[in-house]
Amino acid sequence: MTSPVLAAPRVVREPARDEDSGAWSAGFSVTITGDEPVFAGHYPDFPIFPGVCVMECVRRAAEAVMPPGAEGARLAAVESCRFLTAVHPGDELGIELSWSPRGEDWRCAARVETERGRAASIRLRYRREDPA
Amino acid sequence: MITTEGVRAALPHRYPMLLVDRVTELGPDAIRAIKAVTVNEPWYARLGPRATREDLAYPDFLLIESWTQTAGLLAKRLAGDGVEGQVMLFGSMSDVGFHRRVLPGDTVEHHVRLERAVNDTMIFEGGSRVDGEPVLTVGRVTVAFRPGERPGADTPDPHPGVVSRTGGR
Amino acid sequence: MTIDAVTGLDREELRELLAETIDADVAEIRDGADFVESLGVDSLMALEVVVVLERRYGIKFAETEMRSVRTLESTYDLLCQKLRECS
Repeated sequence: MTSPVLAAPRVVREPARDEDSGAWSAGFSVTITGDEPVFAGHYPDFPIFPGVCVMECVRRAAEAVMPPGAEGARLAAVESCRFLTAVHPGDELGIELSWSPRGEDWRCAARVETERGRAASIRLRYRREDPA
Repeated sequence: MITTEGVRAALPHRYPMLLVDRVTELGPDAIRAIKAVTVNEPWYARLGPRATREDLAYPDFLLIESWTQTAGLLAKRLAGDGVEGQVMLFGSMSDVGFHRRVLPGDTVEHHVRLERAVNDTMIFEGGSRVDGEPVLTVGRVTVAFRPGERPGADTPDPHPGVVSRTGGR
Repeated sequence: MTIDAVTGLDREELRELLAETIDADVAEIRDGADFVESLGVDSLMALEVVVVLERRYGIKFAETEMRSVRTLESTYDLLCQKLRECS
């Protein structure tokens, strides 16, 4: 699927299994530069990185470190997403995410921070399209 | 019915992020609008010489943005003039399900219903269809109006979330 | 484990529902913890809690009643009363 966001997340903490919770977690950093195409229209003289684009950054990070056993699973839903502070051109997003199984599905829970504090908390739900 | 020029006057969004083409129905607490998807969407500009069907699937998070802009039109109408110049914030969303790919040539029909409104906070729900088939379901999106703040203004944004300025152009 | 005899309302289930809705850990939702003061619930989240409760328990809050959705305790009592009214 084509993405409206140019920025690619960089791994800053390699994915690893968390001893007690068994979750598969990793850390990422994403630089949102002024030449993201969305800023031209969101908004012409008031550039704010759209919330759905923050979600897109989380999704790209999540899909870069799918946990063992979740390969082939696709995004089925946004379970919940809360936006707390705005993201502006030039911001650096820190993303802490963790994958955990939910029955047959997988949940990716992520916290997104900028240097001004928490920007968003997001929970994505992934499901394997069984061929049946 | 709000025409395209009406949509453009009501929303501060502009190319490439103005994602509502026309409002087809506008009731006291519900709205329907359409967004046509063409092979010329700006996002496809980066595709290589050969594109797969998957490459041409419309970005699903932009379906959410298109739906929330439709909700924004209803929110502005419900809030009336009291919020002129205020900022409309999308604070949160939950249970947003994706059901089918949207492809060039599809016309997406959004339907949004107001579930609850208390002073400056509103909660909407609904979904989107193509040819009557559900492509998106939206459990809940919350919207609030806050005094207009511009980035770099000294007062920190209390809760800017996804900001869309309601001030007239 | 408190389950209301008449309405079958389960306090722990309510605690989990509230925790999920306001993005908090279940442990943080102590019986008397005030949603606004100690759990940082703002007007946006408060309305979400109301809508989630209305959908989950099939009831409608009057605006005056919404004000008493402030702690797990007060929410549980209000829900019991409303569920008794229609059971």
